[in-house]
Amino acid sequence: MSGLIPLTSRELIRWYRNPVSLITGLIQPFFWIALFGSALGRFPTIFLQGAPNYITYIIGGVLSITSVFTAMFSGVNIIFDRRLGPLGRYLSSPIRRSSIVFSKIFSSTLRILVQVAILIFAAMILPNGLRFENGFSLFDSAVLITAVVLLALIFSSLFSIIAIRVTRMETIFGILNLVNLPLIFVSYAMFPPGIMAGWINSIAKYNPVSWSSEAIRTVIINGTLTGSQLANVGLWLLYLTILAASLIILTYVISERGIRD
Amino acid sequence: MESIITTENLTKIYRGSIKAVDSLTVQIRKGEVYGILGPNGAGKTTFIGMLTTRVTPTSGRATVAGLDILKESLKVRKRIGVVPQDLTTDEDLTGYENLKLVSRFYDITANEANRRIDQLLNMVQLQKHSHRRVKTYSGGMRKRLELIVGLVNDPEILFLDEPTLGLDVNTRMQMWEYIRDLRKRLDVTIILTSHYLEEIDALADRVSIMDNGKILVTDTPSNLKNSMKEDYITITFASPDDLKLGEKFFSNNEKRFSGINTLRVKVPNSDETMPDLINYFSSHSVKITRITIQKPTLDEVFLEYTGRSLRDEERGDARKSMFTIGRLRR
Ligand SMILES: Nc1ncnc2c1ncn2[C@@H]1O[C@H](COP(=O)(O)OP(=O)(O)OP(=O)(O)O)[C@@H](O)[C@H]1O
Ligand SMILES: [Mg+2]
Repeated sequence: MSGLIPLTSRELIRWYRNPVSLITGLIQPFFWIALFGSALGRFPTIFLQGAPNYITYIIGGVLSITSVFTAMFSGVNIIFDRRLGPLGRYLSSPIRRSSIVFSKIFSSTLRILVQVAILIFAAMILPNGLRFENGFSLFDSAVLITAVVLLALIFSSLFSIIAIRVTRMETIFGILNLVNLPLIFVSYAMFPPGIMAGWINSIAKYNPVSWSSEAIRTVIINGTLTGSQLANVGLWLLYLTILAASLIILTYVISERGIRD
Repeated sequence: MESIITTENLTKIYRGSIKAVDSLTVQIRKGEVYGILGPNGAGKTTFIGMLTTRVTPTSGRATVAGLDILKESLKVRKRIGVVPQDLTTDEDLTGYENLKLVSRFYDITANEANRRIDQLLNMVQLQKHSHRRVKTYSGGMRKRLELIVGLVNDPEILFLDEPTLGLDVNTRMQMWEYIRDLRKRLDVTIILTSHYLEEIDALADRVSIMDNGKILVTDTPSNLKNSMKEDYITITFASPDDLKLGEKFFSNNEKRFSGINTLRVKVPNSDETMPDLINYFSSHSVKITRITIQKPTLDEVFLEYTGRSLRDEERGDARKSMFTIGRLRR
């Protein structure tokens, strides 16, 4: 995939030149941690699956949602290249069309990992914040990173596919607005399954945001996993892997067939 | 002469059944500057889009440097340079970074790329500004940068789609110099679209006049102009008596208009008329104070083939360049 490395480094230079976008991407998740954490500070801990406080409970959800949002926006980022002109240059250069899209997907993944690191640090220094009461092993951090990265790949691919085919900005932003609330609230990102209405619960089970949130939550709360917890985490990561792989292949095929100019 | 681009009934129909390019069959020769002159919406950009593999043809075939534009599009893109009508550089990168990025799309070593980039920056006098972000460039600087971005891979064929659109007269002339210079130093075939008559006239070896997706005629600019057979000779005489004598010379010419001591006539070929006229004036001692010869421009040619004048289009040009800038700033 010629073009992938130069285009990814272009994305990283642009990111480094616009630190504001990194910060604005962090404001919302930071509010969630701080606001929900203090507002629901006396949330009955019986619902929290063993977490010592609400922040420790929701951090997995907040990291997942941050990943989804950053990924969605970098997926649709191609519309700006189309509007401002660089896409025309790339389309008439001898590079694979897919490298244009994958440069965005990969650079956004890197970006998400940085955001995740900052958010974890922020959650730890808050009063009554994130606590790893049962430790946090190398394996646990591998689970966390894998879940966040797979989720990022899923949503950046999905939204790249949309942006490759749809050229109207209004349509794309319409879709973004339509999906963001259900993705958060019809999932186990913020609230325990125990307090959800039955119908939400039955949909939330199939939301990839739930798989990632629950996987991260399980390792953060428990540190060392029991056999059944391990099986659950493995299953969630498997679902995420299958979905991410399918969407990446689809993105490759669709982008190679042509990117709307 | 050897053809470097050939097309056969190349057609593009957009949704809504707009025939943007209508069954074009052309041959572009190796080493020439081939101009395409046409008003807004003629289909110039679409035609170039297909040759540069950006736009998929609806039907027909084309080869560029002997390569099929559909089956070997990646190879075609290696051999061509493109300067599209819209700006393509990344505003958040510097001029140098933009050039460097594009050079990495080709199989050129970093050293070779740096050497070329330096040379190109020098050519368009941007070396001083190469480490500024493109965001801070003026319109003319950006167009100059666009030109050399299309040249980093040392292409065999260069496509220039309205390279001077929206530039002021001085900057435009400067761009013409760069393009002429390119032609001299590099062995490159140039395909140039424009709706500026003077630009095509100044730069193109051959020109196709395009309208509504069709090419109406192709020839050298001078052949096209000569074929119009309408030169104007305007003479100012020293006195009314001289005018009378002068009118006698043109007595058989219907297309004759007289003013106070001046005479304006239309002749098929002034190059042939002038020697006779000079001899006549000296043998009859006619005193003249001024003589002007006006040859036809490509606009007369355009008018002849399309029934419309391109000059009227140029007036709409300010609006178009505003639109282009609007599009960039959005
Ligand atoms: N992507 C597109 N979708 C639909 N119609 C298009 C598209 N691009 C161009 N057209 C139409 O095709 C015709 C030719 O357009 P094109 O841009 O090729 O003309 P042009 O000669 O380059 O004009 P200009 O001098 O304004 O650049 C126009 O009628 C235009 O509206
Ligand atoms: Mg055009």
